[in-house]
Amino acid sequence: MSVKSRRNFLKGIGIGSLALGTGGYALSEKTQTEQKLKKHFSMIYDQTKCVGCAECEDACHSVNLVPAAQNRMFIQDRTDPLNVKERRFVRVSCQQCEDAPCVNVCPTAACHRDSITDIVTMNGDDCIGCAYCLVACPYDVRFINEETNMAENCDFCLKSRLEKGGEVPGCVEACKYDALVFGDLNDKKTIISRILEIKDSVRQKPEMGTKPSLRYIPAVRQGV
Amino acid sequence: MQMVIDMTEGFSHGHVIWGWMIGVYLVLAGASGGALVIALVRRHYSVNKENTALLKSASLIGFTTVAFGMVFLVADLHRPLYFWKILINYNFTSVMSIGVAAISIYIPLTLVVFIMAFEEEIKSILENKIKISKLTTLVVEITKILKKARPTIEFTTIFFAIVICVYTGFLISVLVRFPLLNTAVLPILFMVSGLAAGGAATRLVSYLFFEKDHHSLDMSLLHRLEWPVMFIEILLVAMLIVSLLIGNEYQKIAMQAFDVYATGWAYLFWVGVVGIGFGIPLALNFLFGSKVAHSNWAFFISGASSIVGVLCLRLFLLYAGQTFGA
Ligand code: SF4
Ligand code: SF4
Ligand code: SF4
Repeated sequence: MSVKSRRNFLKGIGIGSLALGTGGYALSEKTQTEQKLKKHFSMIYDQTKCVGCAECEDACHSVNLVPAAQNRMFIQDRTDPLNVKERRFVRVSCQQCEDAPCVNVCPTAACHRDSITDIVTMNGDDCIGCAYCLVACPYDVRFINEETNMAENCDFCLKSRLEKGGEVPGCVEACKYDALVFGDLNDKKTIISRILEIKDSVRQKPEMGTKPSLRYIPAVRQGV
Repeated sequence: MQMVIDMTEGFSHGHVIWGWMIGVYLVLAGASGGALVIALVRRHYSVNKENTALLKSASLIGFTTVAFGMVFLVADLHRPLYFWKILINYNFTSVMSIGVAAISIYIPLTLVVFIMAFEEEIKSILENKIKISKLTTLVVEITKILKKARPTIEFTTIFFAIVICVYTGFLISVLVRFPLLNTAVLPILFMVSGLAAGGAATRLVSYLFFEKDHHSLDMSLLHRLEWPVMFIEILLVAMLIVSLLIGNEYQKIAMQAFDVYATGWAYLFWVGVVGIGFGIPLALNFLFGSKVAHSNWAFFISGASSIVGVLCLRLFLLYAGQTFGA
């Protein structure tokens, strides 16, 4: 699948879910089984390319209306204080676990896996703000939005962009340095799959046993 | 394992997310379950099928503590007004959902057990104070039906009381980020400490309201039960510590929870759990001779210390547990 057809697919998802609208889960689940679509959306964070400009953070705030004091994602400065010339950053955000504790523990299923895209996301109306998902997440990347009092996580802008026809998450679009790549891991022809084929990548704390989806390309020169 | 690609910060920035309200809820639920397990098991094996002081006291505690606990649980939500969502949207992979299902069976059961234990009192109030004869006959009819089902009701209540104690342990033992909580002993530790708190509360309430003699058969039985329960509690806490001590890197980091130089929460453990919860009752009963051990004040302080100890244990686990995450 070329880049263009990948885009078309995402557009398809957008239109499809728009059409479904609030039609409910039953309908969207049926659509999924009918089409036998199994996508595995993921994101690469490339440490060798990130310059720490934080434009992704700004984009996230404006796209997802995140309160100024809070974040759905941020760039942590991991520069070694003894070697400040080699600046190192890392993206902190939901790792989109394949076996997601936040989904497992949510008592109201407000935190759930989207039936079309398999992305871990929120149905805020059902959230009671118990914060169980916050403590269950092994990565500490969920928060209770101080304005809505509902829990949130990075859902690859599923609700704010992809479902509305957007092609990539806001941060990916904002990054001028190609440090963020978004796409379907199950499709070997996507850019993300092709990059991962030739570059070494790691996952955050895979020992937590939740099969995180995000892939990180480390800058190894500084050593471990 | 510190690589430069690892993210070492999250969104909580070291703040504890589940705070004291959850801790208080855990204690109240545990005390409720513990009190009812003790009283109903005792009743089952006793020839005395009267409504004893022990039963009255335990059923009073059983109902009120869990009801109060729910208040704390709901108050801790960020959207408390939407609490009902939890009742209509079930997710059976969620310990909280399972717990809510169990608790919505358990609370009515504790109320029924309470009504059965105070049957005479309720009837006499109805007859002498309220004097609505229709209501009185209705209540008499209901209690007649309840009487027949009483063994079944009590058995079910024991089962659900155990479920409540144990589920509060599973509730936080599924949190993989926190090695102090993510252990196998937590559910059983919560059961046993629930028995300790429930037993102590039953003794105090019984003495205050129902039976002035704290050397009666039931009371001395309760008192003697205290030591094996405490022994198992200490054993479980020791197992928890050892599992962290010999564990992996995350578990060793979590071991700092017990280090007063690393965190103030460690005082909750050493002063609250060990000193007050275990130390004071042991000292009062075994250290200063039988005169002190049998005195009224020692009885009160010892019971209150046990309850405070269990509260400290829950709070310590919550706060120190969430402080040292992976
Ligand atoms: S990283 Fe946390 S919030 Fe994201 S899917 Fe995994 S458990 Fe859920
Ligand atoms: S805070 Fe909301 S999303 Fe998170 S577990 Fe509770 S109800 Fe579910
Ligand atoms: S926008 Fe790109 S380069 Fe800038 S901080 Fe974000 S990921 Fe790094």
